[in-house]
Amino acid sequence: MKAVKGKYYFGGVHPHDMKSISKDAALEVLPASGIVAISTSQSLGKPAVPAVAVGQEVKEGELIARADGSISSDVFASVCGTVTEIKTETGANGDEQYVFIKPNGKSDKCFMPPLSDPTADEIKARIKDAGIVGLGGAGFPTAVKVAPRTPVDTLIVNGAECEPYLTCDHRLMIEKTDEIARGARYIAKALGVSKIIIGIEANKPDCIAAFEKYDDIQPVILRKQYPMGGEKQLIYVTTGRKLGLGKLPADVGTVVQNVATCYAVCEAVELGKPLYERVLTVSGQAVKHPKNLWVKVGTPVKDIVEYCGGESVAPKKVIQGGPMTGVALENYDVYTHKTTSGVLLLSEKEAAADEPTPCINCGKCADVCPMHLMPMNTAFYSAAGDFEAAGKYGQTMACIECGACEYICPAKRPLIQAIRKTKAALRNKK
Amino acid sequence: MDNTVVVSTPPHVKSKRTTRGIMIDVAIALIPSAIAGCVFFGWQALMIILMSVFACVATEFVYYFIANKGFSNKCADAKAVCGRWLKQFDFTSVVTGLILALILPTTAKWYEVFYEVIIGAVFAIAVTKMLFGGTGKNLVNPAAAARVFMFISFSISTYTAANIPALNFSSGIFTDSTNLWWLLSSNGGNPETKVTVLDLFLGTGVAGCIGETCKVTIILGYIYLAVRKVIKWWQPLLFIAVFGFAAVFMSGFAYIATGGYIFNMELFLPHILSGGVLFGAVFMFTDYTTSPKGIYGQIFYYVISAILVAVLRYLTKLEVTSFVILFINLFVPLIDKYMIRKPFGYKKIKKVRKEGN
Repeated sequence: MKAVKGKYYFGGVHPHDMKSISKDAALEVLPASGIVAISTSQSLGKPAVPAVAVGQEVKEGELIARADGSISSDVFASVCGTVTEIKTETGANGDEQYVFIKPNGKSDKCFMPPLSDPTADEIKARIKDAGIVGLGGAGFPTAVKVAPRTPVDTLIVNGAECEPYLTCDHRLMIEKTDEIARGARYIAKALGVSKIIIGIEANKPDCIAAFEKYDDIQPVILRKQYPMGGEKQLIYVTTGRKLGLGKLPADVGTVVQNVATCYAVCEAVELGKPLYERVLTVSGQAVKHPKNLWVKVGTPVKDIVEYCGGESVAPKKVIQGGPMTGVALENYDVYTHKTTSGVLLLSEKEAAADEPTPCINCGKCADVCPMHLMPMNTAFYSAAGDFEAAGKYGQTMACIECGACEYICPAKRPLIQAIRKTKAALRNKK
Repeated sequence: MDNTVVVSTPPHVKSKRTTRGIMIDVAIALIPSAIAGCVFFGWQALMIILMSVFACVATEFVYYFIANKGFSNKCADAKAVCGRWLKQFDFTSVVTGLILALILPTTAKWYEVFYEVIIGAVFAIAVTKMLFGGTGKNLVNPAAAARVFMFISFSISTYTAANIPALNFSSGIFTDSTNLWWLLSSNGGNPETKVTVLDLFLGTGVAGCIGETCKVTIILGYIYLAVRKVIKWWQPLLFIAVFGFAAVFMSGFAYIATGGYIFNMELFLPHILSGGVLFGAVFMFTDYTTSPKGIYGQIFYYVISAILVAVLRYLTKLEVTSFVILFINLFVPLIDKYMIRKPFGYKKIKKVRKEGN
């Protein structure tokens, strides 16, 4: 279908997208590492419970940890090898339990049977069995999303990729267009909806053109604005529906899925392959050869950086994920997750490490807030320890932590830190 | 990877804009007005500008030096304090000094009034800014506060006092709307006192303050600030529009004595182009620290202060912009507290009536 233009929402920033660094690097498969360590916390909710014992032989795609509770997902072995250890380690996301697997060089696969022409229930069951989570970043189990409590009429595929630097979804949309379209159709079938919208930011005209060839998918050109891929913003700009505070997308009749998730669903249905690898972007001006790689879940970041030629200059910041919401790493001794969308090595010139100066009350943080909040009030009151007032005057609990306020702040105030502190204090109080 | 990596909360990339950069932008926007002042009033104006800026920066430095214990016994300490001051120097005092000089008149020789300018500058920085905690913590606009302080303190001095009341109106005539109308009407008036709208716009032949007379340069500064997104483009326009209509509305009452109320739109341009209103709207009301942060608060602030300026100008026949800035600044914390934006997708929760028996 012919692409249409998306709406505009008030707020947002326009960071330099820096996608040209890795945009043209075709997808490559990262060779197997010496060891993989797969975290059992791969999604929101409770961590999965290990289902293997130390010393056990596992095949690629074999279940190694079982979901615990409804908002949790199964975890699968990403390589063929022996379980050497199960222990808790401190990674980028805090303390997590890791299953260490030593690959044995073989590539025996343990897949589920492929489905041909599946029914809605079969697709739902397959999404759950394949341990698919939202690959956009939050890691919300897709199985929960495809079983909404309220009736849904639109599936929105999120191809915005509004984070600077990241190009993994961009490459995937170009190289695996058909698979993404088929995956989106499977999800639509599971939901029982016929309307599929794919939102793509205007800086990816090749992807927009690629999706125009399908009759049942409506591409929407999104303005270059950060954050565009946030659920609330995306639903508003593509359908004009406003998602209220504390509401799920299904409450306004929509379900949002990332393009990478659609691809994973397609593979799970057609090949029976569980989710144990994903595309991630290695970029930044401090990495020698920026690439878009197929990486197995649990691969050490060190191996990824080494495969890309290592550092070209000493990085100022190393980030797992995107530069606006990602986690800064202390060292390379961490392992990728299902939700890791990038490894960025930012040089001194790119990374922001300025000393904060006094707030000048310019109000730019409020102007760019996509949620129309007042972050300066949160920062002001939380610095004084009055979290109640911080939540009241800054409307902190509605914050989506996109980082636009801190990006624009001329005084370089640590606003996100203040917001997280306030949120934690308010949650503990309840 | 060595130990030089920085670990912090996101975002890890930030805009290149800093407080210092914004303040330099404001200073650049003020330069055309300063040049116009020098052209109109000679190097009298230049001396006042230089004195004011120097006094502001020096005051800030001395205050910082004392507050950071630069006067200890060790010379190294003093050096370190100076280094830190230079590192945190953000050009706010330069902007304050420039604005203060540009809202001063030039009727006296600079060496006769230099102490007034310097005391005003010291007051602006030391009392209104640094005592409250420095950049971003001041309650009122330092330049406006200093101007009012000078007006009150040196009311005997011909320099300050004689000019503040009729700051920019040649012999106070412009505030009186009947006279204004008479001046602009083509068929009457003394040719010596006749001032056209074009004169007001260009600043030629109009008495007034250094930076306020030439409106062209103020508009240039406005365009620069708006393009650089230092101020929001609509803020001065909103202020000027509301002020213009309110002033025209108020001056209609002057006709009542001679026959009845007239809403005369021909007075719109003379009103907005006379006095310090345009300068205040572009450079002083838009001061970040002393204006509201939320969008609703900002609209309220500009509308209310425009109406206040118009009404008080009519009633007092004085140039009241500085006074109104001071007055409205004190309400900004209240505006900020009670005019909060509603989050995206916010819906007012309807009170459900309990079904009683």
